Amino acid sequence: MNTTLIMSGDYSVIIVEGRVDTTNAGEFEKEVMAVVESGSEKIILDCSGLKYISSSGLRVFLIVHKKMLAKKGCLKLCSLQPGIKEIFDISGFSSIFSIFPDKQAAEGD
Amino acid sequence: MKRTSLSYHIIKNVLLFCIALFLVIFSVYYYFARKTIREDTRENSVYLAKTTINKIEQVLTLAEKNPQIIAKMLEASFVSKDSLVPFLKSMLSVNDNLYGSIIAFEPYYYPEQGMYYAPYVYRQDDSICTSILGDRNYEYFYMDWYQIPKITNKPYWSEPYFDEGGGNVLMTTYSVPFYKDVNGAKTFSGVVTIDITLKWLTEIITEVKILESGYAFLLSRNGVVISHPNSEYIMNQTIFTIAKENNQPGMRETGRRMIRGESSFQAAEFRSAWKPGKLWINYAPLPSSKWSMGIIYPEKEMFASLHRMNFILLVLIIIGLVSLSVVIFKIVSKLTSPLKDFADSARLIASGNFNVRLPEIKTEDEMKELYNSFSFMQKELDEYMATLKETTSAKEKIESELRIANEIQMSMIPHIFPPFPDLSQIDLFATLKSAKEVGGDLYDFFVIEGNKFCFAIGDVSGKGVPASLFMAVTRTLVRSISDNVHSPSAIVESLNRSISQNNDSNMFVTLFLGVLDLKTGELLYTNAGHNPPVLIRKNGETFMFEKTKFIPAGLFEDFKYGESSLKLESGDMLFLYTDGVSEAENVQGDLFGEHSVMQIINNNINARPQELINIMGNEISAHVNGYTQSDDITMMTIVYNG
Repeated sequence: MNTTLIMSGDYSVIIVEGRVDTTNAGEFEKEVMAVVESGSEKIILDCSGLKYISSSGLRVFLIVHKKMLAKKGCLKLCSLQPGIKEIFDISGFSSIFSIFPDKQAAEGD
Repeated sequence: MKRTSLSYHIIKNVLLFCIALFLVIFSVYYYFARKTIREDTRENSVYLAKTTINKIEQVLTLAEKNPQIIAKMLEASFVSKDSLVPFLKSMLSVNDNLYGSIIAFEPYYYPEQGMYYAPYVYRQDDSICTSILGDRNYEYFYMDWYQIPKITNKPYWSEPYFDEGGGNVLMTTYSVPFYKDVNGAKTFSGVVTIDITLKWLTEIITEVKILESGYAFLLSRNGVVISHPNSEYIMNQTIFTIAKENNQPGMRETGRRMIRGESSFQAAEFRSAWKPGKLWINYAPLPSSKWSMGIIYPEKEMFASLHRMNFILLVLIIIGLVSLSVVIFKIVSKLTSPLKDFADSARLIASGNFNVRLPEIKTEDEMKELYNSFSFMQKELDEYMATLKETTSAKEKIESELRIANEIQMSMIPHIFPPFPDLSQIDLFATLKSAKEVGGDLYDFFVIEGNKFCFAIGDVSGKGVPASLFMAVTRTLVRSISDNVHSPSAIVESLNRSISQNNDSNMFVTLFLGVLDLKTGELLYTNAGHNPPVLIRKNGETFMFEKTKFIPAGLFEDFKYGESSLKLESGDMLFLYTDGVSEAENVQGDLFGEHSVMQIINNNINARPQELINIMGNEISAHVNGYTQSDDITMMTIVYNG
């Protein structure tokens, strides 16, 4: 798992790469929460490099989602690979997250 | 590897160094010692030559005086003709070295004596005899001793000769010419001679000793050997005949120089047939008689003392090196003896005896440091082992607690199959395999209101103890809620509300909950974010349930869940599972996948519940191929026999 933060317009774009599972979900949470707590109002999680996500990883996505809801910011996901999209679909998470096919679409919305 | 001791290495290196050092020192010493000895010997020999020549000269010059005085006396007409013989007799009587003396006159010097007049006084036995030489048979005018001084007008030493009449001794004759003043002109009048024995000369020469067998020899003007330790040479050989016999061009060259009256005090190499080995020679002429004296000494003897010294030195050095080795061995053994003890201690420590006694070190050196390190290691190991024991027991405690937790958790889910022997409508089998000691998956089933069969399968986010606690809460809530509420959506909504409250950890549970009417076969179900189950119709058709639009329970308190319905026919089967099945991973990271699940179901369409689960489990194991199980694996099959 590896995360990279880039600023793109108003958005803090966090590029997530590799696997997010039980072993590194805590680390992932810390890195993403650091961005959330730095005051970013608009966050895009770019999942183009995300290979696998476990329920622990989903939990982190959910925590970020809840945080952003609480501070009235917005969290968007983009570029989910089919396998990841499937997990989001199966778990019903697709219905609570704003998911976009790519970064441009996410920023344009 | 061959085992060698430390002292062996040290001794070897020190000895090699010492030997190398000794060789260098010895070479230098030997070179200079040789040079000095050669120079000293040369000087000694030169000194000997000079003193010997002086000694000979003293005798010879003294002997020369007598005839010279007589010549002067004759020239001054100081003695009468009649007193000549008594005069000579008295001269001989006081000088033992003189064997004879002649005064030989020119013809008609004394007219009354006629042609020949040469009174001769000589020793015979112990008396002194007189005779008058000269007659037709003995024309002394033509003798060397007479003719040479006459022609050269100089005194003359004859070549030495053996006097056959006078006791066979080596003799030489010294002739001095005398003159008469005739009308103011010096006219040759005759010769005075003395015969002198050379016995003393041999004695002087024999006395010359240099080194062990160094010797002196004397050559006449013509190179005849006058004196030599090898008496066979004397008067029989010249240096040139010896050189020729022995084919020694160097010796001939030396001989030539000697009879030319040259002297050499720079020792030169010389070889002699008489004396083997390399020889050195010095030579110088005798000023009066023009003879030449040589001193010879062998090189071997020159360095004999040096070689003797070398031998002593070598013996001393060998003794020194041997004692050095012994001393080094003793010192090193003494210094390193604790090392062996340390090695023994280390072996004992390695075998677990941390409190082994260390060798006693009295010195304050590296051994002490080693001792300190060793005792530090002992202490640390001891402490480490104590800590390890503590941690191990703590870990064992946790493990045993986890084992108990696992038992409790397992006891919360039904695990007796078939569960309802009296309930002919239901055939069911389920398994749960946790990835860790305790897991977050769950399944449950029970009968409500007598004719309704409620079942659920779920997966808590995460794993381990937190997930297991969450799972226990979920399972308990489902049971207690369904006592009062019978619709799946209501049950899930109620569950969601309960667990969402104060859910600071943001954990959630996916859940598929169904209520089957055993009479009608109508199935009502709610899927809260769980993997869609598979429906296997009795006729062999298989369907995967639609994906849910409902999120897992525990996320949002007020979330509204709905429910769907489905009519089961007798013989239809449901296959429910958690994502541990579809996401079972092998070492390459390949997931088992839903398509594999569907494929296996299609290939085993008539399998019984337990049979299908076993097949599925085997296929998962084959796919994972020994790779660590990453998630809990739960499967449940329900057959409705309406």
